[in-house]
Amino acid sequence: MMEKIKAFLKKYQLIVLIVVGILFVVAPLIINGTVKKSNYVIDIMVRILFYIIFASSLNVINGYSGQFNIGHAGFMLIGSYTGALLATKLGMGGPWYWLAIPIAGLVTALAGLLVALPTLKLRGIYLAIVTLGFSEIIRIVAMNWTAVTNGPLGVKNIPKVWLFGISKTSSPLVMYYIVFAFVILCLYTTYKVINSRVGRAWMSIREDSAASMSLGVEVGKYKAINFMYGAFWAGIGGALMAVYYRFISADMFIVDEGFNVLAMVILGGQGTLVGPIIGAVMVNMITEFFRFADEFRLVFYAILIIMMMWMRPQGLAGASNSVLAGKQIKKNDKKKSKHAAKKERV
Amino acid sequence: MYVLQQLLNGICQGSIYALMAIGYAMIYGIVGLVTFTYGEIIMMGSFSAFYYFMAFGDNLVLSLICGFATAALVGIVVHKVCYQRFLDAPRHISLICTIGMSMLIKNLAIIVFGSTMKGLPIFFEGKTLVLAEKTVEGFHQQLSLTYLQIVVIVTVIVLAIALSLFLNKTRTGVRLRAVSQDRKAAALVGVNVKNTTLLGNCIGCGFGGVAGILLGLYYNSIIPTMGGAAGMKAFSSVVIGGLSNIPGAALGGISIGVIENLGIAFIPNGSGYRDVFAFVFLIIALVIKPEGLFAKRGNNA
Repeated sequence: MMEKIKAFLKKYQLIVLIVVGILFVVAPLIINGTVKKSNYVIDIMVRILFYIIFASSLNVINGYSGQFNIGHAGFMLIGSYTGALLATKLGMGGPWYWLAIPIAGLVTALAGLLVALPTLKLRGIYLAIVTLGFSEIIRIVAMNWTAVTNGPLGVKNIPKVWLFGISKTSSPLVMYYIVFAFVILCLYTTYKVINSRVGRAWMSIREDSAASMSLGVEVGKYKAINFMYGAFWAGIGGALMAVYYRFISADMFIVDEGFNVLAMVILGGQGTLVGPIIGAVMVNMITEFFRFADEFRLVFYAILIIMMMWMRPQGLAGASNSVLAGKQIKKNDKKKSKHAAKKERV
Repeated sequence: MYVLQQLLNGICQGSIYALMAIGYAMIYGIVGLVTFTYGEIIMMGSFSAFYYFMAFGDNLVLSLICGFATAALVGIVVHKVCYQRFLDAPRHISLICTIGMSMLIKNLAIIVFGSTMKGLPIFFEGKTLVLAEKTVEGFHQQLSLTYLQIVVIVTVIVLAIALSLFLNKTRTGVRLRAVSQDRKAAALVGVNVKNTTLLGNCIGCGFGGVAGILLGLYYNSIIPTMGGAAGMKAFSSVVIGGLSNIPGAALGGISIGVIENLGIAFIPNGSGYRDVFAFVFLIIALVIKPEGLFAKRGNNA
């Protein structure tokens, strides 16, 4: 079944891509006209778009270069606070916010470099705990540095972003298209980067860092670039989030939020471009679907994560022969060896 | 005097972290996988004590045993769900599984126990033991330990010695150490690796449960979401100590406790930054010595 779907998708790749793209463009327009609580539905769709940006940026770090970042919430926080503070304190709201968004991205990339530099030697779980610690440090500082970040109250009344002189952009529909443009930009650049020399260097580091070093890949440099690239898009997403919700506080970026994004990446499939998209859509839809269950919502989500890990550890979009699949490889090996043994007997 | 007092408080708090870290190091050593469910196990231990006190009255020793047992039971469930299938799989799979499990236990606990803060009974009526006192320029200063702090330190020391005796003197302990050193070699010489792993995980979780009770008594409040911070402290202590190194983990826990208390005492507005000190210390420690401050030589993880 899965194989058939895959073969179909591969054959009509471009058509599927265009159809999905058109669906994403047209869907909010249809919903806006027909569904009753259209703003609410579109609000959820905007949230899905945000998470696509976050999950894709985390996927670049975790999936492509094989580093293990579990504190992505810290980068998101830096991005959104930079955007929000630029807009409220330095008057970069309105039309100027278009400048504030890339600045937020760059500041976050700098933070990414700051995390990456001391941790270049660290691998696996050591790197994970450092990113987790970084995320907590950032959050607690944002919570307590009252003079700049307004402390636990958060940043309120972030001015709306202007688009061609229109100042009404906080309506979900307009914001949807703005964020959608950024999603396309993010996915396109990521696609380009992944298929360039840099992307291949990342993947070679993921597969075997010693071998890639011996082939002349500067592992440290590329790891740092990787962290910066991932952090950059997390920052852009954060800045967009700040201007959409027009209110941010440190509580929105607790460690569990980072885990949430991580879960999207892994459920969707690490190391694939479509994986994070599928993950973000699926997780948001499911948590929304279980809204009726109220406090049990997160329980269902947790059970879903565990079940996914039991049944399909490489994620929905991941290949069954990927390094990330684990047990699947062994099973295939066993089958093969059994097969070989049979052949020999014959 | 003030510094000494903070140091003492830090050591006392650090000894609770040390107990958590010992349990964590035990789990990591035996199972070989990182867990994020540990904080929730600590929380379950403290809540089991809360219900024990409610049902059977204030008996500290029995409540600690109850906490140990409850946490070990939760440990069995976690083992079945998160570790058993993934012992040979890539590590991130079981890690995500433990994250899911932690969410599951936390949210079930919020539903079952309620999301409000609960208090544990106060033991020894808050009495203190004054170690030294003097009057400087009219200010009366004293160096003191509450009875509770003494009990906490004694409990931790007793448990640590008991564990060390168990690991070094009994057959089961030797088996546990064998599995921790080399799973396959242990299986070759006839150790039941599967059961031993389960046992090691249970003991580690039990230590976490006891530490949870001590933590609850120390702060005199427990809440279902307390696990996150506690689990991360345990994790940090273990990483500073060099992952599967149990004495190192204990030292790491104590140093984190001391640094937290000194940081709060000397940095203005420090109490808001309590958790920052531990992580900054952790990152600095890892940059200086990537395999952990107290790791044995040649122990590359």
